[in-house]
Amino acid sequence: MRSDAVALQSQGWLTEKIFLGLTPRAYLRSLLTPGNLAVALILVSGLGIIAYRFIYGLGAATNLSQDTPWGLWIGFDMLCGVALAAGGFTLASSVYLLGLKEYHPVVRPAVLTAFLGYVFAAIGLACDLGRPWNFPTPFLFSFGTTSVMFEVGWCVLLYTLVLAAEFTPSVFEWLGLKRWRDFMLKLTVGLTVAAVVLSTLHQASLGGLFLMAPHRIHPLWYSPFIPIFFFISAITAGLSMVIVESGLSHRAFAHRADHHVNLDRLTIGLARAAAVVLFTYFFARLQGLADGNHWALLLTGWGAWYLFEVVGFVLVPSLVLASAARREQVKLIRWTAAWVVLGVVVNRLNVSVIAFNWNVTPRYVPSVMEILTTITLVTMGVTVFRWVVNRMPVLAELPEYRETR
Amino acid sequence: MIPHDILTLYTAKAIEYLVAIAFIACFIPFWRYAMSAKAQPAEATVKARVPRRTQWVEWFQVSPEVAYHPGHAWARAERPGLVTVGMDDFAQKLVGPIAEVSLPHVGARVSQGEPAWSVRADGQSVSMLSPIDGVVAAVNPNIVSSPDLVNRDPYGDGWLVRVHAPKAEATLKGLLQPRLARRWIEEATNDLRRLMAPELGLALQDGGVPVDGIAHAIDPSDWRRVARTFLLT
Repeated sequence: MRSDAVALQSQGWLTEKIFLGLTPRAYLRSLLTPGNLAVALILVSGLGIIAYRFIYGLGAATNLSQDTPWGLWIGFDMLCGVALAAGGFTLASSVYLLGLKEYHPVVRPAVLTAFLGYVFAAIGLACDLGRPWNFPTPFLFSFGTTSVMFEVGWCVLLYTLVLAAEFTPSVFEWLGLKRWRDFMLKLTVGLTVAAVVLSTLHQASLGGLFLMAPHRIHPLWYSPFIPIFFFISAITAGLSMVIVESGLSHRAFAHRADHHVNLDRLTIGLARAAAVVLFTYFFARLQGLADGNHWALLLTGWGAWYLFEVVGFVLVPSLVLASAARREQVKLIRWTAAWVVLGVVVNRLNVSVIAFNWNVTPRYVPSVMEILTTITLVTMGVTVFRWVVNRMPVLAELPEYRETR
Repeated sequence: MIPHDILTLYTAKAIEYLVAIAFIACFIPFWRYAMSAKAQPAEATVKARVPRRTQWVEWFQVSPEVAYHPGHAWARAERPGLVTVGMDDFAQKLVGPIAEVSLPHVGARVSQGEPAWSVRADGQSVSMLSPIDGVVAAVNPNIVSSPDLVNRDPYGDGWLVRVHAPKAEATLKGLLQPRLARRWIEEATNDLRRLMAPELGLALQDGGVPVDGIAHAIDPSDWRRVARTFLLT
């Protein structure tokens, strides 16, 4: 009798928390949509490729070589994933440290995006490691404190844990564990301080990695200021990503969103911040160019590509964002933010893939398997984000918790 | 180091300084440009946002589209950072037929809870409190020639000023929202009942609305005192 009651209770819990109030059969039937089938196809083929990579090794699955040991998985999955996840610490510090409370409604989705960004960047990194079974070594057995990777590895690990802790209030609200949720909220300021410190360190030191290869990177992209460039551009990427993600989320998950939130107003504020940081970043890049005294290289083909990146993806969107924010053109802001996100991706790929080994032939071109693996990881990230947002209070707080932030 | 290198170094350093100076010179105007709001015609937005419905609470109309200050002024966000302000139906009925409204000038700063404008009725004027902090962006040009607009349409054509308020959203949250405002108006009505003279009470027994100029009806000799009690001035 008692076990029947427990079974019924657990079935009710599953129905409510996991199956969105549907019976398991109805839930599975609701998943049969063309979009979900496309996602399933990508995941099945992608996971097969990842399995192939681990069975047969990097040489069989990638176009990486001794000359070009870092490819798409580092350039896109790791560098872009981490940069685009910077919205987590940017928004959390704005709200919890600088007191810009009106941006609180976009903190949770930003933290979730950041957490997933880091987790899937780490999975991409694991794919890229020649000997992935050594993954725990720098954390447990041999710290390697003299390696530049020591700082990156530890900061990324610790920050991923901090992001997980920052997101736990949503999980505890979802599970109804009020005491645990209240306890974690008390840690918010401490976690945010840790997030700022760790992010500042590793966002910059990801750029610092490239200081070890001054002769491999084209002079227009190599600069002793690369760590500073990476840090500032990560802030622009984070702010822009929050603009793009919040706009898409509030449209795709309208039933889960808080309709009392004036998202347009928040978007305009974020656009102003992004415009100012982009403007600063443009002059920082200009300073890098002046420091290297590489003005003559601007007249080459590489120079045209450099100008395309720095003017087309930094200066112009900065001016457009400022103008659109001033005129309150929210749709233009969202498109421009997507443009900035693309610009940061172009920058990271330039530094790590395109302008890296620029004078080495043959040039590295990612293999189909590398590209499919990257698409799979991005699809997994979006799928998990969707699963979480559909269940947990991410876009809107539960009414019973709204008073006690 | 050969002289040529020194010259190159100096040139590079000079350009770096120039870039830094250019950044400082450009950043300040860019910041001001990015942080400012483009001025828009004051009239257009207001006309587009005239509230379409009001609800009766006792003898007074309450708009569900505005937030209320306890001094019986209302505020409504027209767009981010721009708020329209007026006096509520309770205030206009309390004061009665309005002969003149003295509004602040465009560019004047108003502060929440501080006197911002005054209305003149029956030969005397009474101040009212601003529901919001900010700078006056526009005043209702029709109020000067037709102050009775406030009596006829307090939540629509009778608006008073538009305020540029960068932190409007946070400030508006601190005001009385419609649901709470309805209870607040009920309580204010009960207070009025307690003050009312017998002749006004008779006027209500058939379920009608009290005459305009309730304060005057309560105390003809010193209606300002009654009005100021409710308007918190």
